[in-house]
Amino acid sequence: MIKVLKSGVLLTIQDFGRDGYRHLGVSKAGSLDPFAQIIANRLLNNNDNDAVLEITVGLCELEFTCDTVIALHGADLQATLDGQAIYPGWTYTVKNKQVLSFATGRAGLRAYLAVKGGIQNTQVMGSKSTDLNACFGGIEGRALATGDEIPITPYYGEFIKVGAIAPAQRKLIRLHPSPHANLLGEPLLNNFVSTAFKVSSNSNRMGVRLEHKNNLVHSHSLPSLGVSPGSIQLPPSGEPIVLLNDGQTTGGYPLLGTVIEADLHQFAQFRPLDTVEFKYVTFEEAAKAKQKLDGHLHQFSLALKNNL
Amino acid sequence: MKPAPHIYALTNSSLLLDASHLDATDRLSIQKKIWALTSHCKCTDEFTDLVPAMNSLTLYLKSGKHLNKWLQVLPSLWNDIKTSTFKGQHHLIETIYKGEDINYVARYHNLSADEVINIHIKTKYHVLFLGFQPGFAYLHGLDEQLHTPRRDEPRIKVPKGSVAIGAEQTGIYPADTPGGWHIIGHTDTALFDSTSEQPCLIQPGDTLEFVPLVNKGATHD
Repeated sequence: MIKVLKSGVLLTIQDFGRDGYRHLGVSKAGSLDPFAQIIANRLLNNNDNDAVLEITVGLCELEFTCDTVIALHGADLQATLDGQAIYPGWTYTVKNKQVLSFATGRAGLRAYLAVKGGIQNTQVMGSKSTDLNACFGGIEGRALATGDEIPITPYYGEFIKVGAIAPAQRKLIRLHPSPHANLLGEPLLNNFVSTAFKVSSNSNRMGVRLEHKNNLVHSHSLPSLGVSPGSIQLPPSGEPIVLLNDGQTTGGYPLLGTVIEADLHQFAQFRPLDTVEFKYVTFEEAAKAKQKLDGHLHQFSLALKNNL
Repeated sequence: MKPAPHIYALTNSSLLLDASHLDATDRLSIQKKIWALTSHCKCTDEFTDLVPAMNSLTLYLKSGKHLNKWLQVLPSLWNDIKTSTFKGQHHLIETIYKGEDINYVARYHNLSADEVINIHIKTKYHVLFLGFQPGFAYLHGLDEQLHTPRRDEPRIKVPKGSVAIGAEQTGIYPADTPGGWHIIGHTDTALFDSTSEQPCLIQPGDTLEFVPLVNKGATHD
């Protein structure tokens, strides 16, 4: 077990989330930075989809009640194990009764903690992820609280310490073109791609809200249509919302486009007041960016195999 | 030439079929085509998700390699698809018409509470699509006599199972949620259960009727 001594800002159990239920109004949920989840799991020779802890901002404290091996990835939230500093991208053996504490970070927002064998909570609708809005999955469908016990399987074996380097953050986010480009008009879209947005403190796992001083207001209303993580909605107020994993499945605002798959995980790490800019790319460029990311993961796996 | 829906590639692995611009006198007939198309695409097993919405269908592919194929075949599928091939289920929603706002709705329309109930139960509603929260169905068919502007002050909590009216729509809340619709009744029918094999009772394209329950000591004075 992992016992939650202090829950911090938002601590949840996540995996890749739910597919196949969007027509019923069920959101994807799942890790906002699946890339960090994959690396943390691969460092431990886990399956990519094994459930991990998503730690937002930090300030939490976890006590292990058995031996295991852990790996951290994503933001560096200045973690310590019994007071000793530990770093993202490395594996660490943990003994019964040891305490893992997170302070907070200077950059990035979310850290991912994988444990050997994955977190062992029950799957609901094909996933162990917490759906915070619909209140199911994870542990009772809620953020973890002080006193909660997170089920894990003890691991007593030896484990070689290995590491992975995190890829650099991007501030220029690549987008697929909008199906509503004609409706919104070229001047507005030009304005959109020449704006440096600030991430609003009003952002969460449902979506990142973007503030700016340019004029993107409009008066279009649309019949509701299917939306997904990465869809960028433009409400009439002119402040774009980048939908993330807990976002609703249908919405009635015009879309500015969709974040390409290779860049979407960046939104897990943006903090309030960070700046973001956008650029439309072709489908070929988007596919290439995805190949590059997959290639990076593949090389990483090969390197691990040679080491383990 | 038959009017065609707009078809867009949203990403390397998702598409949008948008029929909202089609000049149809009966929106429901377009929606029926969308349900038939959804059901056809589901059988191909090439999609992780198919999300019908208001006169549109968003298709999420398992693999990006089939994107171009679907961009090409969707227009002809749209032309050829027979709406009669799609059959939704019909649900009877037993309702106790004793909601907090039923008298308000009645007064607003110069009707009695009984008249409100009689108008509300006489319609066979079509489930256009689901969204907003798991199991929340957008229904088509609320009688104009009951169209009621939303509350000025939304409630912080509309209880699970509430049957409510908001502007031109009526609906049932599958879980507690904030909301500005007028509550006219309550149902014990479970609409969403994450632990069940079939988590949602109602699917897009189904039909439903409200059936008043009067023998549980419910009155609506």
